Amino acid sequence: MTTDAFAFPAVARMPRRPAAILRINSVACHTVMVLLSLFCLFPVYWMIVTSLRPANQIFDTTLWPTSVSLGNYVHAMQAIPIGGMLANTFIVAALVTVAQLFTGLLAAYAFARWRFRGDRLVYTLVALTWLVPFQVVMIPNYLLVAHLGILDSISALIVPHLAAALGVLMLAQAMRSFPAEVIEAARMDGAGNWRILWEVIVPSLRGSIASLAILIFISTWNEYFWPLLLSRSPENSVIQIGIQMFMSAEGNAWGPLMAAATLASLPILAIYVLLQRQVVQSFMKSGIR
Amino acid sequence: MIPKSLAVAAILAGSTLSAQSQTIPASVDQPVTISYYNYNLASAGNGADATRRMIADFEAAYPNIKVEAVGANSFDLTSRVQADVAARRTPDVVQMVFSDLAYGVDNLGIVALEDIVPAQELAAHFDGMSPKGLQLGVLNGKTYGLAYTFSTPVLFYNADLFRAAGLDPDQPPQTWAEVKTAAMAIQENTEAAGIAAGIFGPSAGDWLFQGVLRSNDGHVLSEDRKALTFAEPAAVEAVAMLKALADSGAYTNLDMTAAMEGMAAGSIGMYLQTSALQGFLVKGAEGNFELRATTMPRFGDKPQRPNNSGSALVIMSKDPLKQRAAWELMKFMTSKEAYTVITSEIGYLPLRTDIVDDPQYLGEWVARHPLVQPNLAQLEMLEPWVAFPGPNYRQISKIMMEGAEMAVFGGMDPARAMQAAQDTAQTMMPN
Amino acid sequence: MTSIPLDVPRVSPVIRRRRTGWIISPWLYLLPTLATLLLWVYWPLLEALRLSFFQWNMVPDAPKTFVGLDNYLSIFALPKFWQAIRNTGIYIAGLLPLAVAIPLAIAIYTHDLPPRARNIYRAVIFVPMIIAPVVAAAVWRWLLDPGHGLVNEAVTLSGFKPVQFLQNPDYAIWTIIVLTGWKLIGFSTLIFSAANANINPSLIEAARMDGASRWEIIRDIRLPMLRTTILFLVLMTVLLGAQWSFAYIHVLTGGGPLGSTTNIFYLLWDFGFSTLSVGWSSAAAIILFLGFGVMAFVLFRLMDRYSFYDN
Repeated sequence: MTTDAFAFPAVARMPRRPAAILRINSVACHTVMVLLSLFCLFPVYWMIVTSLRPANQIFDTTLWPTSVSLGNYVHAMQAIPIGGMLANTFIVAALVTVAQLFTGLLAAYAFARWRFRGDRLVYTLVALTWLVPFQVVMIPNYLLVAHLGILDSISALIVPHLAAALGVLMLAQAMRSFPAEVIEAARMDGAGNWRILWEVIVPSLRGSIASLAILIFISTWNEYFWPLLLSRSPENSVIQIGIQMFMSAEGNAWGPLMAAATLASLPILAIYVLLQRQVVQSFMKSGIR
Repeated sequence: MIPKSLAVAAILAGSTLSAQSQTIPASVDQPVTISYYNYNLASAGNGADATRRMIADFEAAYPNIKVEAVGANSFDLTSRVQADVAARRTPDVVQMVFSDLAYGVDNLGIVALEDIVPAQELAAHFDGMSPKGLQLGVLNGKTYGLAYTFSTPVLFYNADLFRAAGLDPDQPPQTWAEVKTAAMAIQENTEAAGIAAGIFGPSAGDWLFQGVLRSNDGHVLSEDRKALTFAEPAAVEAVAMLKALADSGAYTNLDMTAAMEGMAAGSIGMYLQTSALQGFLVKGAEGNFELRATTMPRFGDKPQRPNNSGSALVIMSKDPLKQRAAWELMKFMTSKEAYTVITSEIGYLPLRTDIVDDPQYLGEWVARHPLVQPNLAQLEMLEPWVAFPGPNYRQISKIMMEGAEMAVFGGMDPARAMQAAQDTAQTMMPN
Repeated sequence: MTSIPLDVPRVSPVIRRRRTGWIISPWLYLLPTLATLLLWVYWPLLEALRLSFFQWNMVPDAPKTFVGLDNYLSIFALPKFWQAIRNTGIYIAGLLPLAVAIPLAIAIYTHDLPPRARNIYRAVIFVPMIIAPVVAAAVWRWLLDPGHGLVNEAVTLSGFKPVQFLQNPDYAIWTIIVLTGWKLIGFSTLIFSAANANINPSLIEAARMDGASRWEIIRDIRLPMLRTTILFLVLMTVLLGAQWSFAYIHVLTGGGPLGSTTNIFYLLWDFGFSTLSVGWSSAAAIILFLGFGVMAFVLFRLMDRYSFYDN
């Protein structure tokens, strides 16, 4: 690591702030955080609360259901094959996450490790695809998927998403800050490029990889337009299509809709809880010992 | 009874195209699978359950035919069909929304019934159908679609709010002037909003707007389908009427969901919208307020001229055996039994008016559900939904609606707004 | 693993990386990504470029009519086009504080909290992201309803008239911005947290031992080292802000009232991607790609120039 960090001329000599101001700041900060938390939580809370209300009280505005009922959940599970849809969505999201992490790491490594002819151009080309919203390429992709004969299967949901720009960009950035000396040392120890990537670099990028994994999983989980175009029967669809089935031009079925949406949020919450610990882990746990 | 003219036309068509109409086999004698694109299946609820039951009954009656039902939302359905046609996986039977019917006929290859079905069989099936209803699916003199799930615009109103505002719920407003008076009364004397309507909004399209314009003898398109006419005086007058209603404060620009839920919750006095919402509104009203309905408002003494919303069943197969199977499915879904289910369980109009008074079919249900009466009464006044010509028809419709919205809610002068919209949209017409 | 003492003199990374001509290794590593992107993104874009000069209904054997630049001109001539561009600017300006400034503050603030408080706050901020966008939009619409929404009930209780959050042309766009931001705060906080955690703690320790106050540490160490991530997220907001708000616009306002919430992406979707005209839809795609592509190019250049790598 650099030694420049130790040069803090003027900063170190400034007097500390009086303790009273620090305390007020802390209270103010906490208040702001609490308000922000309420803002973030309230609609979700409302969704859950509505899902627990009985059908004839669905438009009530009390903060807690006057009588808790699981009727909406029962109705939702009977109306659409929730179990199958959740399973499908999970498989698709997991496979896409793994695929994008894998291809992203490989591509980021190429950019971070080598300077080669055309690297700027390729990097720009990759980055530009990030700007392309899915609606733009949806129909040609549909035709290609039909041509490949995978129209009626889950593969159609996975194959177009095997690689994506966001992962490459984020991982390339993270890799660029990786200390070069460590790579040199590993190379001098005789490690090949592949081993350097997987044994030296990746373990220290745990935070970035975990946060990227969360983001990819969520964005695939919540994807709507592509599965909509492909869905032919509820049993082979994903959960977003299932949720949408409770919304129609002739009125939304609020109770089952909230119940289905709550059920659909639980797996993502679980993934977040599992992976977020990795995100905040300190940098120094690996790499340099 | 279908008018003689139609019967004659069908027979003539049949005889001149006798070669073609003999190409579909008389029955399905080998196993075949047909795809059926349906939007009721895309929402969980009564519509989906009833449709699934009808499909199951059909498969039981025709063991050789397997139906692959594909559920797609009504807004995406035509795009799905187009994508599948492009992928060379043309669907067989489609529940096509009326606004896209013309496009489907001109571009996607919807088959005319007279071209594939023997004339006598066709005439026999049409027996008992409302002539106006049948006309809805006719283009260029041929029947391309049979009205399947369709309805007319109806003025729902909250009888309790009427009483609270000093109005008589047994004498609902019949003209736009009366509507304005009633709406303002409700606005002033109660906490509720006066009136909401499903005229504007992205999901509204232009179907209700066309009905309002036509009720004032305005038109959106010229007879020869070459010129747009929604900036002409009669149409502008209708828009100005809506503007005055909005300016009075009694008509707010609520989006479709907000309006629907507001009416169901009892916070809006009147709601002009498709009668297909009846089920939803009835559920909300139960135990809360008395919901009633009447016909669409008129302009003074001119009769109202509603057009329909909804869909028609169309056939798109090219293979003769599949065409026969598709036709059998279509016949089943437009039979007396089917319309009984469609009206009583899903909430649309029956194309077959003879079942309305028949106790074996809808007779009793209609007696028990008076709310459907205005809808039925308007069935005989129905005019077809006008689709703009050419490939840019959707854009033209949007420009027209944006112009009208600017006039009604945006403070723009109606004549200027409609003229500007018409000028822009005319450039998108086919030349 | 070999251990490296911390005081190895810094070697310039540029010299260290091999500068040979054509080497095959990086291309092999790039292959899966490039193959996927070329096949599923660039090929359709090229097709879109070609088709944007035609009028076609996508039916395989139907004729394609050449119309030159008509499709593009029609889109530029749309009455709401310039309003959409203006609104896009408003969206970006409104989203920047919500998508960059506030999450940055949250990530830094919570980093120094005791682990339990930190994790709870971060999880709570993240919760909006687990809800499907369409459902979130539907719930918000209901909460903001002028007739029976909770927010307006609170407003009327405080003595004001109900606010038409989504029906008033002056407020609607800000409502959509806040709702889009509601979801984004968690997303950006996550990214900042990861970047923050990547900062070498020994730097912080050293500064603290030198007597620097918390604010000084933030100002002089964390912020500069987070500069890349900050720029990255600013970039994202500018380029993707219009797309992020799509679900909310689509469900809640449809671009209205009176076009006040239509941004360039929604307009292109409304008149292009969602119609059956392949010509319009392709022209819309090219306009979107080129427009944002040029902006991205400029911004990426800027970002590269001001980036700071910890090497």
